[in-house]
Amino acid sequence: MHSRLSLCIRFSILAASLAALPASAHHGWAGNSDDEFELTGTVERGVSLAGPHATMQLRADGKVWDLTLAPPARTQRAGLKEGIIPVGATVTIHGHRNRDANRLEVKTERVIWNGRTFNVYPDRK
Amino acid sequence: MAWLEGSTLGHVMRESGVWTYGCVNLVHILGVSTLFGSVLILDLRLLGLWRNIALVAISKPTVRVAATGFIIAAISGPCLLATKATEYVGNPFLYIKFSAIGLGILNVIVLSTLSAWKQHKTRELSAREQSRLAVSGGISLACWLTAISAGRMIGYW
Repeated sequence: MHSRLSLCIRFSILAASLAALPASAHHGWAGNSDDEFELTGTVERGVSLAGPHATMQLRADGKVWDLTLAPPARTQRAGLKEGIIPVGATVTIHGHRNRDANRLEVKTERVIWNGRTFNVYPDRK
Repeated sequence: MAWLEGSTLGHVMRESGVWTYGCVNLVHILGVSTLFGSVLILDLRLLGLWRNIALVAISKPTVRVAATGFIIAAISGPCLLATKATEYVGNPFLYIKFSAIGLGILNVIVLSTLSAWKQHKTRELSAREQSRLAVSGGISLACWLTAISAGRMIGYW
């Protein structure tokens, strides 16, 4: 009985450590630079509220950037619904760009358009 | 992948509300946990734990529950993939995951043809037959652990 119990405990520890692994990366900001990043450009592709994260694309200096927003429901709660910002409109975004300099991707906290600020991560500065 | 993303399934996943992805993701996790939970019990028994319980008493419920979990996961998974299928092109974890699932299924097929597996329902197995099944159990555990680990890592690539 004693050995079985200790086996159970060992498996619990294994399971717990496996479950804990992902929490540090995705949906976190580990893959993105700590530096604040701002970008102004025109909307290439409007907001999409498809999961797992809302997205949009911005064109700046002839390059197309992929913007990763908050999860769909959270992005919508911030007022940033599909179709609100028209394609071609000039917007400024604030967030953290991908650590990989070759990837034009920004995990976006705020989108500013036409005097309105959509703060999809209000708990982050 | 472009075809999958452009399919009706992809459109439905993207255009049917902000909670759709989360809910389908929940169903997928329920399927995966159902599959793995029961597979784990069976594999550990095949590897030699709980020898005082007849194998058939464990194999019967766990195989059924695992199969149900697999079906749930196999239906919900492609829905998640279709949402933004093209984004996963080049994601190594996706390829590891599907290879592991393929091997896991192959292992099930091989196991079901083993005479030891067929015989365990009607009689006690010899030590040699038991160790043959233990190999299957070990492979199974490795396959499904790999599939789950790689699957979880897809989003972090």
